[in-house]
Formats: sequence, C-alpha cells, structure tokens
Amino acid sequence: MANTITKDEVMLRMHDIHKSFGALEVLKGIDLEVRRGEVLAIIGPSGSGKSTLLRCINKLETINSGSIEIEGEFLAVTKENGQAEYAESKKERQLLGCMGMVFQQFNLFPHMTVMENLLEAPMHVKGLKREEIEPYAKELLAKVGLSDRADYYPSQLSGGQQQRVAIARALCMKPDIMLFDEPTSALDPELTGEVLKTMRELAEEHMTMVVVTHEMAFAREAASQVIFMAGGNIVEQGEPEAFFANPKEERTKAFLKNML
Amino acid sequence: MDKLLDTFLLMLEGSEITLEIFFVTLIIALPLGMLAALGRLSSLKPLSRLVEFYIWLMRGTPLMLQLLFVYFALPMVGVRLPDIAAALLAFTLNYAAYFAEIFRAGIQSVPKGQYEAAKTLGMSYPQTMRRIILPQVFRMVLPPVSNETINLVKDTSLVYILAMNDLLRVARTIVQREFDMTPFLIAAVFYLAMTFVLTWGFKKLEAYYGKYDN
Repeated sequence: MANTITKDEVMLRMHDIHKSFGALEVLKGIDLEVRRGEVLAIIGPSGSGKSTLLRCINKLETINSGSIEIEGEFLAVTKENGQAEYAESKKERQLLGCMGMVFQQFNLFPHMTVMENLLEAPMHVKGLKREEIEPYAKELLAKVGLSDRADYYPSQLSGGQQQRVAIARALCMKPDIMLFDEPTSALDPELTGEVLKTMRELAEEHMTMVVVTHEMAFAREAASQVIFMAGGNIVEQGEPEAFFANPKEERTKAFLKNML
Repeated sequence: MDKLLDTFLLMLEGSEITLEIFFVTLIIALPLGMLAALGRLSSLKPLSRLVEFYIWLMRGTPLMLQLLFVYFALPMVGVRLPDIAAALLAFTLNYAAYFAEIFRAGIQSVPKGQYEAAKTLGMSYPQTMRRIILPQVFRMVLPPVSNETINLVKDTSLVYILAMNDLLRVARTIVQREFDMTPFLIAAVFYLAMTFVLTWGFKKLEAYYGKYDN
C-alpha cells in the first residue's frame, strides 16, 4: 500500500463530529483534514474539547455522530438514523493500528523495563520475534537519546525520559499517524525541551502528527496547520505563520494574548 | 524428655491436617477469588450481582457457622461429604470471597491510562489483563493477601469443632489427658513457625515484585 500513497494523500478526515458526555455536548460539529506528513497542532483553553477530539480519532472516546476516515477508509460513518456506526472489528483493528498515541501521563508499563515496553506490542500484538524487532527498538531508543536506559524501569527515569520512551514505544509499532495528547503538560518546565526536540525531529522526518498542546512555540515552529478550539467548536484555523501573526477572531486574540 | 518428644511427634502429626487445609484452601481459593473478582467487575450485571451476593454471604456470616452448615446441614439434604472435603469446601468458599475483594480493589487501583496505553498499542482485553494489569495487581495485593494467608493458618484451628485431629485438637486432647499445659505452648510455637515462614516468603515476594517501584 505504501507505494501507492502520494504526498497529498489525506491521512485523516473528520466530518461533523458530535460528541456528548451525558447532557454536556463537548464537540459540536468538528471538521478537519490532515495530509501525509502534516503536523496539526490543536490549541485552546482547557474544557474546549481538544483532548476529547484527539481521543475520538483513535476511539478512546466514541463519537455520537459524524464520520472518521483513516487513510481513505471509514472508521466511523453516520447512518440514516443519525447515529455513528463503527467499522467491523477486523477493519477497525486495522485502522486503529495505523495510529500511535502519546499521553500526558506517559502511561508506560511500570513492571517492564524500557526495552520490554518497546517490544511488548510488536511481539505480542504483531507476533514478531524478538530478533526481528529488537534492532529497530534499539534504533528508536538511540533516536530519542536513551540507548543507555534500555534496562531501566520507568520509575528510575525522569518525566522527560519517560515521555521519550513513550514516544519510542508508540513508534515501535510503525504507525502512520502519531497522536499527542498534551505530551509536555505533566513535565517540569526544564524537561519539556527534550520532549519537544524529539517531536520536532519526528516532524522533520515527515511523520504525520496531530498534537494537542499548550506549547505555542512548538505550534508556531513545527506545525503545518493550527486549529484553535473553544467551547466544542473550531474557532479559527490556518497556517501557523498567519495564524499567530494575524489572528482574525477575538477569542483567538484573547487566548493568544494570555499564552504569550 | 521422652514424654515431651511423644507430645511433639503427636502434634507434628496433627499439623498435617492443619497444613493440608491451609495449602488446599490457598491453592483453590486464590484462583477462585480472581475469577470472582473478574466476575464482580464484569459488565454483565447479573453475573456481577451474583458474585456480589456470594461475597456478602461469605463475609457476612462466621466461618464457624459455614463449617457447621456444610458439615451438618448438607447431609440432611442428601449431600454427604467426607470430613476433610466438607471442611475444605467451607474454607475455600469463604477465603475466595475475601481474596475476591482484595483482587477487585487491586484491579481497580491500576490507573485507567494503563488500559488506554494497551488499547492504543492494539492489545486485546484478555491480553491487556494478562500482560499489563494483573502483573501490577499481584504486586499491589501482596500485603493484603499476606495478611489473609496468615489468618488462614490460624483459622484452620476452627476444624476443631468438626472433631478433626488438627494441631489444636491434638494439643487439647493431650492437655486433658496429662493435666499439662506444655502442648498449648508447643501449639503456639507451631503456629508461630508457620506464620514466620509465610511472613518471610511474602517479604521475599514483595522485594522481588517491588524491584520496579522505588
């Protein structure tokens, strides 16, 4: 499949996404599109629905209505009765397998070493043999600058190191799209830099990324597209340069003024 | 001196029943408790309710009463079990209920993020439980399981009322016959020795599983 993909290929398309928690509507009809190699940064105040939107992409939250398309195939479509319906389980597993995720709280497996964290899914989900995947895992650890920490347990690492392991763990499944849910929000300020650096390098390698973040500098420099959300809607979106230099909407201006 | 040795040997024999009840109960009640915990947490409401009722019943009545019920009441409805089997049935049902609650608490204390991380890596629910959640649960439940296990050593003495010649009953018999309190002391030493070994073993286990959290 890889050789048929062009650079303009739409990797992720969401249309008219609605999501409620009980009576509270947190997503009120979201549309977005991410092409291969693009980095989409989603910013906005807390409670704006940006994390929920991200979690809808890989079905950590299910949508009420709308459609989600991953690499041209439907993960969810809305039926005539107005309810979203997900693809059958085999197709769903395949589409969800195209995506990797990095969480705010790292969520490394505490009872496994760094290397075991990386090898777990390739060996037990994909059924690869250790020798088939370990060289790649080592390569990834080198890339995130943690080759010397392969045999450490997560509790023996700093937050920044844990998050870099989490990125390597997700990459070890060779995803086409990487989702980041406020990856630096749980880190001390002096540790965010090392994680952002790793993410920048990924972006430079043209990994397709969707990043929910409060790091305006990252959004401005590494993103190819920025979405500002508030109250469950997309208020404004655009290329980072124009977006940050000349925001059009009052809410965007007010938000950016507070952040900078 | 010979008399003391005789007493000691008789009591060693008595501890056979004690140890048998202890080990068999443990071996059956631990996995049964795990199944009950998973059932209790199941999204199948009737199953969850049924397990909840079982736990309530077992924790809400004295183990002694449960022993008497299995031993004396079941034969009246035609279920006649050998002595040891009757005792084991009551013990395993009772202890599995306690273990179930310990395991349930352990499973629920694993952060939601662990399930989400496993899910985004493509792991199935059984895989997630077996490889990610339960190993963490084992580590967390070791202290309360250790507690229950030590209780079990002492609870085995309840079979006394079923006229089974366990450690305590042998001691009591000798005391009554000889008018000498030494067997009680020896019994205490036996129980202490068993709990000592258990405490030591659990300490080792905790150290082994604790290697990853400092």
